[in-house]
Amino acid sequence: MEEKLNLSKVKERIEQIEDVLSSVAAGDLETRLAINTEDDLTGIEEAINILIDDLTYELKQSKNMQTELQEKLNKIQEQQKTIVQQQEDLMELSSPVTKVWDNILILPVIGTLDSQRTQVMMENLLQKIVDTGCTMAILDITGVPTVDTQVANHLLKTTTSARLLGADCIISGISPAIAQTIVHLGIDLSAIRTKATLQDAMIYAMKQNKKTKDISIKDTLETYEETEE
Amino acid sequence: MNNYQDKRIPIIKIGHYLIVSIQVDMHDKLAIQLQSQILEAIEKTGAKGVLIDISVLEMVDSFIGRMLSGMASMASIMDAAVVIVGMQPAVAITLVELGLEMPGVDTALNMERGMEMLEKRISSFDNE
Repeated sequence: MEEKLNLSKVKERIEQIEDVLSSVAAGDLETRLAINTEDDLTGIEEAINILIDDLTYELKQSKNMQTELQEKLNKIQEQQKTIVQQQEDLMELSSPVTKVWDNILILPVIGTLDSQRTQVMMENLLQKIVDTGCTMAILDITGVPTVDTQVANHLLKTTTSARLLGADCIISGISPAIAQTIVHLGIDLSAIRTKATLQDAMIYAMKQNKKTKDISIKDTLETYEETEE
Repeated sequence: MNNYQDKRIPIIKIGHYLIVSIQVDMHDKLAIQLQSQILEAIEKTGAKGVLIDISVLEMVDSFIGRMLSGMASMASIMDAAVVIVGMQPAVAITLVELGLEMPGVDTALNMERGMEMLEKRISSFDNE
């Protein structure tokens, strides 16, 4: 049964609609239009109520999605942190310098050499040379897959700075493939002492060791004999 | 100006060798002064070898690096061998990055090894 629309009542109801809409816009999603009568305006009022319902649902969903995304982001950031940490660890681990014999240090290099890694490697090697007082250092590049101009340059730099400290640097583990690429690229490694295998380098270093030792022992013996006389 | 005179780097003569231990930060003027000082000392004492200890130097710029390698070649013309001892790793890296690889300059890890090196060098000269 449709009621006759009365102007003042219509005005009142439109005001009510306005009130509800403004409170929804302000963020209050709980308010709904009260529908008491059934007339021309009821359809609009119902439509508005459904609209608010839909809006509430969508908002809830987007909020859920947001928290989900945030969680994922946090997870990714944590993973990123772990990756950086592991990279640093790897950097430290990848250039171990060990003393293998009297006066001989070995630095086995495994994996691709980039400038950052060579920098760390070079610093480690030089520091170790100073700390241990070893004058022979063997750089073993058996584990380096490829040698390009940049890597060769890094190797040259390392040996030159070791020489400046007063230590000899031998590069070992030059495989046939690496020898071929080096020559094809036109890299001049004549300033560096190179050996095919780590064994050759060790033998060379120990021979060199013996030479210096013999001389110093001979010298001390001579001076000792002189003082005896 | 008198400060430079006060801060002379001592040159000590032991046997046939001169020992120069740089204990202060080098500045350009001091470096030039040291260069002529060492050459004069070689002339005066007839020393056969010079040991330059730079273990305290934490910073070597291109000028000082050039001065050191220049000094080695000047001394070798005067028949004295120069050995630079005790270079720090950071200094070595800096010099190499600057392209100052000091060819022809002998280096040693410490004073003792430097002395051994000079002795070897001089005994081989005597044998010739």
